[in-house]
Amino acid sequence: MSRNLNSFVLADSKKCIGCRVCEVACAVAHLDTEIKTVGNMNFSLNPRLYLVKTPEITMPVQCRHCEDAPCLKSCPVSAIKEQSNRIVIDEAGCIGCKSCIMACPFGAIELIVSRQERVGDEEDRLRDEPEVVASKCDLCGGAPACVKACPREALQYVDMVKERTQRRIEAANKMSGFHNEFMVREG
Amino acid sequence: MAKKLQENIKIDAELCTGCGRCSEVCPVDAIEGEEGKPQSVNVAKCVMCGQCVQICSAYDSPFEQYATSRSQRLKERNMPIVKEPLFAAYYHGDFFKVKKRLADKKQFSMVQCAPAVRVSLAEEFGMPLGSLVPGKMVAALKRLGFTRVYDTNFAADLTIMEEGSELVKRITEGGSLPMFTSCCPAWVKFVENEYPELIDHLSSCKSPQQMAGSMFKTYGASVDGVDAREVYSVAIMPCTCKKFEANRPEMKSSGYQDVDAVLTTRELAYLIKEAAIDFNALPEESFDKPLGMYSGAGTIFGVTGGVMEAAIRTAYELITKEPIENVNVTSVRGEQGVRKVTLDTGALKLKTVVVSGLKNVIPILEDIQRGKADFHFMEVMTCPAGCISGGGQPKMLLPVDGRKAYENRKSSTYQHDEEQRYRKSHENPEIQDIYQKFLGEPLGHKSHKLLHTHYKPSR
Ligand code: SF4
Ligand code: SF4
Ligand code: SF4
Ligand code: SF4
Repeated sequence: MSRNLNSFVLADSKKCIGCRVCEVACAVAHLDTEIKTVGNMNFSLNPRLYLVKTPEITMPVQCRHCEDAPCLKSCPVSAIKEQSNRIVIDEAGCIGCKSCIMACPFGAIELIVSRQERVGDEEDRLRDEPEVVASKCDLCGGAPACVKACPREALQYVDMVKERTQRRIEAANKMSGFHNEFMVREG
Repeated sequence: MAKKLQENIKIDAELCTGCGRCSEVCPVDAIEGEEGKPQSVNVAKCVMCGQCVQICSAYDSPFEQYATSRSQRLKERNMPIVKEPLFAAYYHGDFFKVKKRLADKKQFSMVQCAPAVRVSLAEEFGMPLGSLVPGKMVAALKRLGFTRVYDTNFAADLTIMEEGSELVKRITEGGSLPMFTSCCPAWVKFVENEYPELIDHLSSCKSPQQMAGSMFKTYGASVDGVDAREVYSVAIMPCTCKKFEANRPEMKSSGYQDVDAVLTTRELAYLIKEAAIDFNALPEESFDKPLGMYSGAGTIFGVTGGVMEAAIRTAYELITKEPIENVNVTSVRGEQGVRKVTLDTGALKLKTVVVSGLKNVIPILEDIQRGKADFHFMEVMTCPAGCISGGGQPKMLLPVDGRKAYENRKSSTYQHDEEQRYRKSHENPEIQDIYQKFLGEPLGHKSHKLLHTHYKPSR
């Protein structure tokens, strides 16, 4: 099997200060119009990662883009797909049944009021548009807005191929000295 | 009353995550609380600059449940019903107060707009960051029902006349030097709070907002033949501390409260939206005269270095009696927190310092206390890029856009300066006129009564 593993964004709870800038950046990145100031918003921010705060840790949680994605498997109408190494929700196909929410071990999926409904005029709104749709991290098409916005570099875009290679190099560097020593003694 | 006003800036404990970014930007360490726990504002220290309000990004998430409802939150903040996200750090508004008074058609209202509002207001209507819209702003204010649309820029020109003369007087006849600007109320409050022994260094000039207010209720009222009592005086400001300044007990030179209400740039945008005015489609209209005419020097008050540059344009001519070679005193412009510039006037080497960001002024004040100051005049603005970056300006959703906004607002400000027929305060014909007809001369008896004040230690 020669298939690249899906990338995902991971937060470092030691660096995260819980400022929610990542959430704001994510929500802004998924608007269909360009909005710069708070005063221009006439709807709430709908991020796709969620700050978690417990007495012990502070960090945002988002979709892990699982290889064997439980959400994808649970969707009765096949609205969740794997596309160019990402797990994505086809909002138009979603019926809002919440199966994926139940299936996701990370709690990375939310139901949001569908975009058409949020910004469209009352009259324009398609009557058969779903009221709510499932929403989750789509990796911003490969350039995660949350990672860029974090003031503490607490978020990392994990590319599995690079990550694996890097770890092997580090391991090799550490092991070579140890191994040679061992070999010498053996000889 | 004053006590309540000091609690102008607040943190909503339910929304605050305790990230600490506000305490990073707070110039006076007024934010208190344990790391990771909701923070609070120490009102005794806070200078109400609103920088914490600008930076906070902890908002009311639709995915969380709160004990306080959204409508309660809006009410606490004195905000109209809006759908925008609400953030943890906020200021108390005056929206309803002004709206109610404007609805009364018998009201004779006069409004002034700070220089920084015309380069930011349009951002709240989707126009590019830093769009320059003085004409549309005037049109909007007229449609909102203000009887006279005047301008803070006029009073900025007036400030230069008084402050420039005060500086020359202190240098030639003696007085506390270096002299400090007193336009920024947060800076003034900081001196009162932390360096009361340096209060004499503050210029006795009131800020342009307050000069405009006292002119509205005296000269302005007489121009229109109305009684000062009938004038409702409103200021549109980029600044959250201006609300505090307007309510200071000293600010009643006209016999009444000189400025009755202060709205931030954001609050003006709410008023315009609520009145269903299509801002982008408005025509360009002009400020009313006499108190709405201004020079380029008046408009650059909105950026750091602006007051200094405007003062230099006039002081140079006061001292040398010759026209200044280049009105663009670019050496005082710039980004750094502290800029030192010496101006050679022949007779005198005028040494000046420009400071933006209140933290940057502390080492200088320490030097002055140790008797090590070797300059004449210092401009201080609390906010990082001057009033264009004030706490009441449009709030950026993302920090990266903040930097872009400051840059664009600044270049629009200088562009507006260049567009003016008059570039120096003393050349503004309405300024010349008001001295002739009403004030007499700078630092004269009447100016002293209406345009100057005294500051006192607050502890
Ligand atoms: S990668 Fe993009 S979609 Fe995913 S959480 Fe970050 S900003 Fe949101
Ligand atoms: S008020 Fe805002 S910026 Fe300050 S600690 Fe709370 S969440 Fe952070
Ligand atoms: S308003 Fe300014 S001085 Fe007051 S707490 Fe906020 S940042 Fe600090
Ligand atoms: S610099 Fe301007 S906006 Fe900031 S506190 Fe001072 S007067 Fe207000």
